[in-house]
Amino acid sequence: MIRAFNLTKRYASLTAVDKISFDIPKGQVVGFLGPNGAGKTTTMRLLTAYLPASSGRCEVMGHDVSKEPLAVRRSIGYLPENNPLYEDFEVTDTLHYVGKLRGMTDPARRMERVKTVLKACGLRSAVGKKVSELSKGYRQRLGLAGAIIHDPDVLILDEPTSGLDPNQVLEVRELIKDLKKEKTLLLSTHILSEVTATCDRIIIISAGKIAADGTAVEISGSLQNKNRLYLEMKGPDSAVSEALSALPGAARVYPDQQDGGRSGFIVESEAKTDLREAAFNLAAEKRWPILAMSQKTLSLEEVFRKLTQEQPQP
Amino acid sequence: MNEKAPILQFHAIRALAARGFKTYVESPSAYVVLFVFYLLTGYLFTLPLFLTGQASIAGMKDFVPLLLTFLVPALAMGLLAEEMRSGTFETLATLPLEDWDITLGKYLGFAAFYLLAVAGLLFYPIVLSFMVQPPSHLDWGQTIGILCSFSCLGLMYGAIGLYASSLHKNQIVALVTAFLIAFVLFLFGKLDNFFSGPMATIVEFVGSDSHMMAMSKGVFDSRDIIYFASVIFGFLYLTAQRLSNRRF
Repeated sequence: MIRAFNLTKRYASLTAVDKISFDIPKGQVVGFLGPNGAGKTTTMRLLTAYLPASSGRCEVMGHDVSKEPLAVRRSIGYLPENNPLYEDFEVTDTLHYVGKLRGMTDPARRMERVKTVLKACGLRSAVGKKVSELSKGYRQRLGLAGAIIHDPDVLILDEPTSGLDPNQVLEVRELIKDLKKEKTLLLSTHILSEVTATCDRIIIISAGKIAADGTAVEISGSLQNKNRLYLEMKGPDSAVSEALSALPGAARVYPDQQDGGRSGFIVESEAKTDLREAAFNLAAEKRWPILAMSQKTLSLEEVFRKLTQEQPQP
Repeated sequence: MNEKAPILQFHAIRALAARGFKTYVESPSAYVVLFVFYLLTGYLFTLPLFLTGQASIAGMKDFVPLLLTFLVPALAMGLLAEEMRSGTFETLATLPLEDWDITLGKYLGFAAFYLLAVAGLLFYPIVLSFMVQPPSHLDWGQTIGILCSFSCLGLMYGAIGLYASSLHKNQIVALVTAFLIAFVLFLFGKLDNFFSGPMATIVEFVGSDSHMMAMSKGVFDSRDIIYFASVIFGFLYLTAQRLSNRRF
């Protein structure tokens, strides 16, 4: 559906996208994650034939973007960053205008399609309003409605939820969930909960390069080279710390503060060593009741920070 | 980038032109331009009428070309610059449209509005035709010639304005650029007396004045038509090239 091979975009003194390659099969929802300025928007602009690539190539629905830009643009629905709209238009005018420019010349069929997307995007209550009067959430819905007016197979959404309040984010997220049933979707964001909520796969991009590609579990798993166990025992701190350090396989023990002021210890070990059973036996033997025990994994936030801070920013 | 010859998509050109025309009709700044245009042309019409009893709109033809070098770029400055400033150009450029579709659509929207504005000048001769007895004293050939010359000149400045509007997202930059190009063409028409020989011919041909003056006398010479058509096509071509360099 969407393929990129060594895709590169260089500006005078800056390589915005640096030899990135990926392959997005039909029906997949991919989250493009990266800090601001990492090259997300540039990559999307390359895929939509808005900017020419400096080298490498990309394909959408089997059409080479540089050779058949019109065929590519026909099969894509694109929501640019900041969702630019004509402020003086009414909601339905916007959709009719985009429909006409997309070659939907039959007024009756276009009307039918406009009604369908108004319903799908929850915009019926906004009919008759000018774009300039719409709230940000409704503007975003209108941008999405315009992007799907021609029922494209591929949707590319650049930061679809940026600048929205939490309720609006949820609304737009629901909308994307509905859309993903039938379309291949590439959406960019720097909001981490966004990708875990909506995407099948994550591509983390940093300084124009792909830093990680896979599901959230795969990505955090690949970075996890240590097993970390959080333990809270009712006993004298120094004795507990000493006893935990003596457990076979324990590499490092350090105190850790949990939310709510409770404190315990993190026991680090090799990735394959599971210390939970040994810890339980120790507690039973010493008669230190276990108040809490949990396996710590790297959160997506930590993964993101780890991947995007290790490389220099452009 | 695209090897295929551009095939015009008339449905899209029509939609773009209709949108452009509607924008003018609803835009306060377009009415300011029209107000200045009709105020000054009205003055140029009524002054000779009441002072010397001259029943014609010929009094306009010396000043209006200069006025148009500023007013037409003011009308055209937003055509592409505004889309680039607001970001809607990205939406437009990622629709399945060729550069020529966008260029022609934008230009025709402007042209429709401008020609309507020039047609509004017909008000003066129509009023005259009721005042002048007998009506045959009004030279309709000359009147139509003058309006055609204003039309051609404005359409040419409009193509220049469209190109200038594609250069930068700042409309003022577009306005000044288009005014300078249009003014140089206007000036060349006035400078031919300072040159002699082939140079004078070249300056006269490049300048807009001679082409316009012949037409305003009711003389339609193919060389004048070719002059206006080729300058218009030239700047539309440059605009399409400019769009193509910005994207695919």
